[in-house]
Amino acid sequence: MNKVLGNKKAVFWFIAPTAVLYSIFVILPVLWSVYYTFYNGMPGIKWEFCGIDNYLRIFKDKNFTKALIVNVKYILIVTTGQVCLGLCMALIFKFWLKRFANLIRTIVFFPVVLPTVAVAQLFAKIYEIQPHYGLLNSLLDAVGLENLVQPWIGQASTALGALSVMDIWTATGFYAIIFYGALLDISDDVIEAARIDGCKAFPLFRLVLAPLLRPMIITCLIFSFTGTVKMFESATALTGGGPGGATKSLSMYMYDTAFTYSKTGYGSVIALIIFLICVVGSAIIRKFEKPID
Amino acid sequence: MKRKFTAALLAGTMVMGLMATGLSVSAEENRTFKILSMWAEDDNDSGSILKDVTEAYKQENPDFDYEIEVVSSDNLKQKIATLAASNDLPDVFAYDAGTPLIELIDAGLVVDVSEKLEALGVADQIDSGAAGFLTNLSLTEDLYALPLGQNIEGFWYNKALFEQAGIEAAPTTWDEMLEDAQKLLDAGIQPFAVGGADLWPATRILNAYVMRKGGVDFMDLAYAGEKKYTDEPLVEAAAMLQDMVDKGYFGVGATTVDMNTAANMVMNGEAAMIYNGSWYVSSLNSDANAAGEDGIGFFNIPEVEGGVGTITEYSMNCGTILALSSGKYDEITDGWLEYFVTHVGNYAMNEQGSFRGYTISEMPETVGTYTQLVSDELDKVTGSSAWFEAAMDSELSQIAQENVQTLMNGDMTPEEYAQSLQDIYDAAH
Amino acid sequence: MTYKTKRKIKSFLMKLIVALIVLIDVYPLFWMLTASFKEPGEFVTKPAYALNSGFYIQNYIEAWTRGKMALFFKNSLICTVASLVLIIILTVTSSFALTKMRWKGRGLFDKYFAFGIMIPVATCLIPLFQIFQKMHLINTRTCLILVYAASGISFSIYLLQSYMKSLPDEILEASVIDGCGIYSMLCRIVLPLTKNAIITVLVIQFFFKWNDLLYSMTFVSSTKLKTIQTGLLFFEDEFGTKDWGAIFASVSICVVPMLIMYLFLNKKVIEGMTSGAVKG
Repeated sequence: MNKVLGNKKAVFWFIAPTAVLYSIFVILPVLWSVYYTFYNGMPGIKWEFCGIDNYLRIFKDKNFTKALIVNVKYILIVTTGQVCLGLCMALIFKFWLKRFANLIRTIVFFPVVLPTVAVAQLFAKIYEIQPHYGLLNSLLDAVGLENLVQPWIGQASTALGALSVMDIWTATGFYAIIFYGALLDISDDVIEAARIDGCKAFPLFRLVLAPLLRPMIITCLIFSFTGTVKMFESATALTGGGPGGATKSLSMYMYDTAFTYSKTGYGSVIALIIFLICVVGSAIIRKFEKPID
Repeated sequence: MKRKFTAALLAGTMVMGLMATGLSVSAEENRTFKILSMWAEDDNDSGSILKDVTEAYKQENPDFDYEIEVVSSDNLKQKIATLAASNDLPDVFAYDAGTPLIELIDAGLVVDVSEKLEALGVADQIDSGAAGFLTNLSLTEDLYALPLGQNIEGFWYNKALFEQAGIEAAPTTWDEMLEDAQKLLDAGIQPFAVGGADLWPATRILNAYVMRKGGVDFMDLAYAGEKKYTDEPLVEAAAMLQDMVDKGYFGVGATTVDMNTAANMVMNGEAAMIYNGSWYVSSLNSDANAAGEDGIGFFNIPEVEGGVGTITEYSMNCGTILALSSGKYDEITDGWLEYFVTHVGNYAMNEQGSFRGYTISEMPETVGTYTQLVSDELDKVTGSSAWFEAAMDSELSQIAQENVQTLMNGDMTPEEYAQSLQDIYDAAH
Repeated sequence: MTYKTKRKIKSFLMKLIVALIVLIDVYPLFWMLTASFKEPGEFVTKPAYALNSGFYIQNYIEAWTRGKMALFFKNSLICTVASLVLIIILTVTSSFALTKMRWKGRGLFDKYFAFGIMIPVATCLIPLFQIFQKMHLINTRTCLILVYAASGISFSIYLLQSYMKSLPDEILEASVIDGCGIYSMLCRIVLPLTKNAIITVLVIQFFFKWNDLLYSMTFVSSTKLKTIQTGLLFFEDEFGTKDWGAIFASVSICVVPMLIMYLFLNKKVIEGMTSGAVKG
């Protein structure tokens, strides 16, 4: 056994090609951009060594702080939304859905397939207010809530929320299917036994299902978290970061500094911070991981 | 194990590198002329011009191989930045005039076009007005870019809606324009459409007011440090814009409307006026224009009481320009350049009825009403201002555009808006 | 209220919720299809929810000819499929070595690969471009395939590992007793047992690669080699004017085949996703 599984040659062939590809195209560029952080300007155009100036800049950059706050809010709303709704949907699939179960499970996965550009355009039409009310505003208007009609993505107070709703919509199906898989793995006997003991729906979830699903919830949280920290495409497509930076994330700010403001070095520092947030955040989520006995 | 692994890693990299070099050895001989564009190749606009004129050149010179790459306008700067960093700029590329181009000029990455045209004996092919405008923007004596448009900007209005609201003539002063807007609003018509989601249409309205109040060079002077962004013209302009939004002249949620929708709204009679450039003519000439051949009128930015700007000064725009990479320049570029500048003017006028900033030797016998309108206006020009962000560096320009939405939404006072520009400027200078 | 009516109400509510979920998920697709048949004016003169007034086929003609969807579709397919094959070969072997095999440095490599999940894509664009340029791979399909594969490694290993961890060691032991070597163990025992996890990885990675815009835009300049997402950019001009009808027609062209394929494979995919592929 040990001899077979300890086959050094096999380990080499299994690991080396992956490691080479990964090192060259993922790790090397990152190290390269760390080297960029010590330079000012843009490689090829204006490029001068500036020591740790770029790092110091972070502390007095108001726009950075603003983007950080936007990003943190977004992470909190979207991660919670995606994972909670995904879980709820999975529970519905498992316990209530009888007819057309397969079809419905297929349908909820649809949004995952759509290109971000298309989804964003769709939501822009839903939130539309001028020249015509979009879906949401027409609905509010129709049920007599005219005073709630507003430019959802055009004002700082609602834009981030509107964007979050879109991203939750896109990904919920994905999490629902993953949770559903995990639920299927919980044997019916366990649930049945709990029911016989007089467990109602909520206690059943809290006392029986939640602990069994814990590792899965943590995995999904980490996945959703690392995705939302990098928030970029959907916001670019729906609001372009507006109005007035109300939906501008760290990644978008990084993209701006690196490419639009021609400050590649400073952009790399921001990228490094995004990376650090990812590492620290994931580590914190993992703290909730209890070894299963 | 570890050493073996490192060795393998190195070997792998080397093999890949060798493979790659082996594959590309023969590529040098017959050079492909690369053009980076941001217009689809058959858009019946700049894209078609670039493609068709280059293709015509290829017909005469079969040895000439070219390739046009199209990137989205949002990603043009990122693409150029990446290419510049790798010293691999294409032969010809679309770029933004003003500060972005100046950066490339300072880095010696783009060709002195005047010098080349002079050498080829075709310097007269570029319209002197367009050339003057471009050199003003790049703060150079020589031309470092080829124009690809010669646009005037101003207000376009739906004649039927004006009539409906009982307005007889286009306004000539800003106050008149506001009175007309009120009349339209009272008649149940949205006075203005603005593509606030695309940002630049909103700052153009600021610019319109500023150039009338503070003169065509106000924004240039502000960037040069001789005036301040917090001076009266800009603060007043910001207050004016905010007030117009508050009064409902732009409808609700103006910051969510894209330019495309806004432009269509005026043609379809959903709004009465729009600030737009003469590139609008291509939409006006198309079947999509529900207002028809004479349904849309134009008036230049009205005068502001007590302002220095006059009615014959226009806000002008050379569109996106074409720059030539200095690293790649050779006789192949020479050939293309000579052909392009001598043919583009006539091509654009005859095929599209548009002015591109080149001398036109064969005017078509009849031109459309809208083309004629632009031609007439171009004749009146005595002075010009560039667009709001033309003199700004990219960071300042971004902030100016971002915050204009905040200003319009009332989350920022006009003074704060002006101050936010000044702060960014001060931090950089 | 009797127990029975209570139950009925509850069941009705359930049905309502499920119907709502389905509606929320299906309507957008339906809307997109109707939008792809709208004339340019309709986007402005009529509210968004209005049905298309006619079938404006011009949008599809534009998408197919100007947007070059046929060509881009082929390119997307080649790049995506090739990178998926690469990802599967590389990550199944690596995950196996990382979870089940015994060697020094295993933990180190484990962490090394996990890093990749957290790297923001846009940071690496300029360095990556320079790497590809030094390798003379700019403007080739190879560079897209390589970068697609490389960027998918971390997450795929993460998924596969969690699944492989749950494989009981006894099965492996039994196969050794039967005389299996390491390679035949991988092919004959591990591969069939992880089939569902592999399908999951395939599906997830497929969506990521298929929707990629940033890489293909940056590394490929020849129109002949561009991928489907870049095709959507052909309908937007310098001043922000967008041909929405043609854009939605293009999106429909690229989404509909995927949906059909997905409906066709849906059982396998859902099976793969649900049979416990992702374990914490």
